[in-house]
Amino acid sequence: MPVVELSYSRLQKLIGKVSKKQISDSLPFLGLDIESEDKDLVRVEYSPNRPDYSTDFGIALGLQGLLGIKIGPIKLNVKKSSKYTILVKSNVSRIRPFVTGIIAKNGKIDDKTIKQLMTMQEDLHFGIGRKRKKSSIGIHDLDKISFPLVYTTTNRNHTFIPLNSEKELSISEILDTTDVGKDYGSLLGQSSQVPIILDEKQNTVSFPPIINAATTTVTTKTKNLFVEVTGLNKEDAEDMLSVVATVLQSAGFTLESVKITGAKNSSPKLDYRKMTVNSSLVNQILGLNLSSSKIVSSLKKSRLDASSKGANIICTIPAYRFDIFGPMDLVEEVALGYGIQNLEPTISPSQTIGKTNSVSLKLKLLDQTMIGVGYLEALNSSLTSKRVLYDMTNRDSTKHLSVLDSKSKEHTILRDSILPGLLENLSRNIHESYPQKMFETGTVFTIKSPISEKINFSGISAHKDANFTEIKSIIQTALNIGFGIKVETKTATNSTFEEGHCASIVLDNVPIGIIGKIDSKIVENYKIRVPVMGFEISLSDSILRT
Amino acid sequence: MLQVFHDIEKKIIISLRDNLKQTPESLEKSTHLSPDQIRRGIEWLKLKDLAIVFESKSSMISLGKNGIESFEKGLPERRLLNLLKDGPKKLSDLQKELGFVFGPSIGLARKNNWVESSSDEISIKNPPSDLPGEKTLNLIGNEKLSKDKLDSTDLSGLLRRPDFIVEDVIKTKEISLSNIAKSIKISDSVGDIDVEANVPEVFVARTHPLKDTIDEIREIFVTLGFSEILGNMTQSSFWNFDALFTPQDHPARELQDTFYLDKINAKKIGTPEQISKVSESHKKNWRYRWDINEARKMVLRTHTTCVTIKHLAETKPDEARIFSLGRVFRNEKVSYKHLVEFNQIEGVVVGKDASLKNLMGIQREFYKRIGITKIKFWPTFFPYTEPSLQTMVYNEKLGKWIELFGMGIFRPEVTKPLGITQPVLAWGGGIERIAMLKYDLDDVREFYNNNLGWLRSTKKCQ
Repeated sequence: MPVVELSYSRLQKLIGKVSKKQISDSLPFLGLDIESEDKDLVRVEYSPNRPDYSTDFGIALGLQGLLGIKIGPIKLNVKKSSKYTILVKSNVSRIRPFVTGIIAKNGKIDDKTIKQLMTMQEDLHFGIGRKRKKSSIGIHDLDKISFPLVYTTTNRNHTFIPLNSEKELSISEILDTTDVGKDYGSLLGQSSQVPIILDEKQNTVSFPPIINAATTTVTTKTKNLFVEVTGLNKEDAEDMLSVVATVLQSAGFTLESVKITGAKNSSPKLDYRKMTVNSSLVNQILGLNLSSSKIVSSLKKSRLDASSKGANIICTIPAYRFDIFGPMDLVEEVALGYGIQNLEPTISPSQTIGKTNSVSLKLKLLDQTMIGVGYLEALNSSLTSKRVLYDMTNRDSTKHLSVLDSKSKEHTILRDSILPGLLENLSRNIHESYPQKMFETGTVFTIKSPISEKINFSGISAHKDANFTEIKSIIQTALNIGFGIKVETKTATNSTFEEGHCASIVLDNVPIGIIGKIDSKIVENYKIRVPVMGFEISLSDSILRT
Repeated sequence: MLQVFHDIEKKIIISLRDNLKQTPESLEKSTHLSPDQIRRGIEWLKLKDLAIVFESKSSMISLGKNGIESFEKGLPERRLLNLLKDGPKKLSDLQKELGFVFGPSIGLARKNNWVESSSDEISIKNPPSDLPGEKTLNLIGNEKLSKDKLDSTDLSGLLRRPDFIVEDVIKTKEISLSNIAKSIKISDSVGDIDVEANVPEVFVARTHPLKDTIDEIREIFVTLGFSEILGNMTQSSFWNFDALFTPQDHPARELQDTFYLDKINAKKIGTPEQISKVSESHKKNWRYRWDINEARKMVLRTHTTCVTIKHLAETKPDEARIFSLGRVFRNEKVSYKHLVEFNQIEGVVVGKDASLKNLMGIQREFYKRIGITKIKFWPTFFPYTEPSLQTMVYNEKLGKWIELFGMGIFRPEVTKPLGITQPVLAWGGGIERIAMLKYDLDDVREFYNNNLGWLRSTKKCQ
């Protein structure tokens, strides 16, 4: 979850009459988890579905509603203007077909505001922009740009001075040498042409979705902004723009429109949507009995507009709230506006009879039986390593089942057997007193259209007098006393077990497992100084067979 | 203080009270116990700080061949003096009488001026009543005596004479009672044992502490009317993500968060209707090209919700309470607070009367049963539920609120395409986190270390 750093004193200025405590008490009820606090600073985690909470401006709007200081929707006042236009050339259609934008004027930009805008930009890129693939944003100093602009393509030899650079670089150099170029260059594919925004004087404004030009950099001296968003589809680009526009207006800018034409592009609307929710759905889902007017006022506290018409609540949703898919989302908005803390938990009597799964019941019986014969239960990961599973135990690894890109070397392969894990456990307990007797039940995996999951049961006994007779009597007794199943042992060979001390465990003439003395070389490799006996059987093929 | 002792201990203490310092041998005699019983009894008493054992080396003195002869017949010089008692005697007669000892006895007597000789006769001059060595010789007699009980000057003369004295160096133990033992009262009931003595530790065979927590949680939900369902840990992306309205380009689906199985894809992922309706819902709401091949990719389930939603899609119940419990996986760096594989419980309530307040009520009841009463609910976000909440519970030990189960109502975008018509309340969370609170652990990895020291000592009841 993304994190945003806020300052209480800044929030207090943005919200109006409110104490620090009111703010910190209310943050969680907007869905913002306080991660850490340090005097005036507070870091909160916000949900990726609310990109407007990526700045303190957006959070202030939410808190105003929740605290009842300002309620109802945030209306975007965009002044119609014909001064600012972007012409889109059809050659961008195959690479990054859409552009949209807005002008924000007469704002005050201090260091903190720049910082907030930067983190917003990053979070938008990462979240709804899907790492700039779906949509990406560029914020520029308007006064450094001469309109009209053209959104077109250029070849990779095109040069300009990119942000944070002092000299001209070609597109190829930017992609090969800068961090952003290396991180996002792959979004442009192998095409010789790349998207570019040029101004009237053919100066480069932006090379989306990679980097802006240095000339348009926003500083504390900047007063007027130009924001452009490019993307793979028009709706996603406009969604992103609506968040930025809302935040900039809240930051004190006045908005002016940008006219966009060409290649299926058009000027952004940033319009409201209307959506209806039935008050009975609200009350049914929340378990409340709210009047229509209470529902309306709750929605207003969630910074939406609403009015009731009979049982229906007609809701007006600003463009930046594109996280609202349907009426159920409005139910949540009612709950938030009403206040989650005001919902009293109730327990309704169950009309159903609870039941433990029969597999769980049988496994519990097996646990109890094994404890009765003096075995301690172990638990190991299903996702383990080649070393534990195959190398140390001398097992065939050709059919191993691995996962991609594991961050942990010890967890790369799904186990097809439980016994190797228990041997590993013994090796880590050689300083503990003997006898050491352990068992484990768990899922094992093998490749089979696509994967077969079975439940296995393994046990291990290590002490100076451990012997085959002991371990055989354990498995026979456990299965017989626990489940009335009688198994036999038949001579077998297995690379984990010592020759002449190994048998397959047979049920009704079908082998279901293996038992014997662990090969002394394996025991030695594990630096265990006592003989070790072990077994493993498939429970899916025996006691769990239906 | 009255203390119960073993019979052996009792006899030893009583004997030592009569005779304060003894050897094991003397104790054997006085108590009529076997050497082994004495050895064990002394050992027990020593452990209880009741007996003091002083070990020392000492020389034991007994008579050799010539010594025994002298003890029986007198020292050679005594025999000489005895022959002279009745007046002087001729040397030749004396030689006859004394035999081998004639020479040494005459030599010694002359040197000490006990006799005087004139021409061929010898007569008594001035002998002492006790000759040197005589007392010691008689004291030893047929016994074996400690060297330090003998007069060392008297003994030294005898030691110089051949075959008179045999000296053995032996280790001896001297046992005495400690001050506590001197005053202790001894219970005299026959056959009593020391019930207060320390005993060796026995290691209990047991189920794993985490398994105990899992069983406890399972039990709670069964008694709340929930039935358990099971499902595979390996799942197609379709059930783990797509069916739960998680778009295919969502960050949670990336390799760095989710374990994908290398080169393994599911052929059959759902009914044609399920696939087409789920893909429609994605296209309409998330605006992207839904790819069935992406949905076929097999993953290690990231939650047990895939098991429940699949079950609901198959059974479409009007009313149900079900839960699923098992291992889930996240591609994380393993640390004291993160595992790649952990247990999750996840449950749903289906019914026309199911409401958010009911869902909160079930949570409150569950927490109450595991001993947590201070809880609150905060809004949160999950891709597949709306509204969504999380429970915060107050941990007294840590003195802070901790996030536990998440919950919500399945989105219509999830239920509708799968033909589920009733509202579905869903909740779930990790079990290790609860078990860590229960067993007061700081490091979640302990659950999977199988460290016998921990497993053997952790208390069952927490």
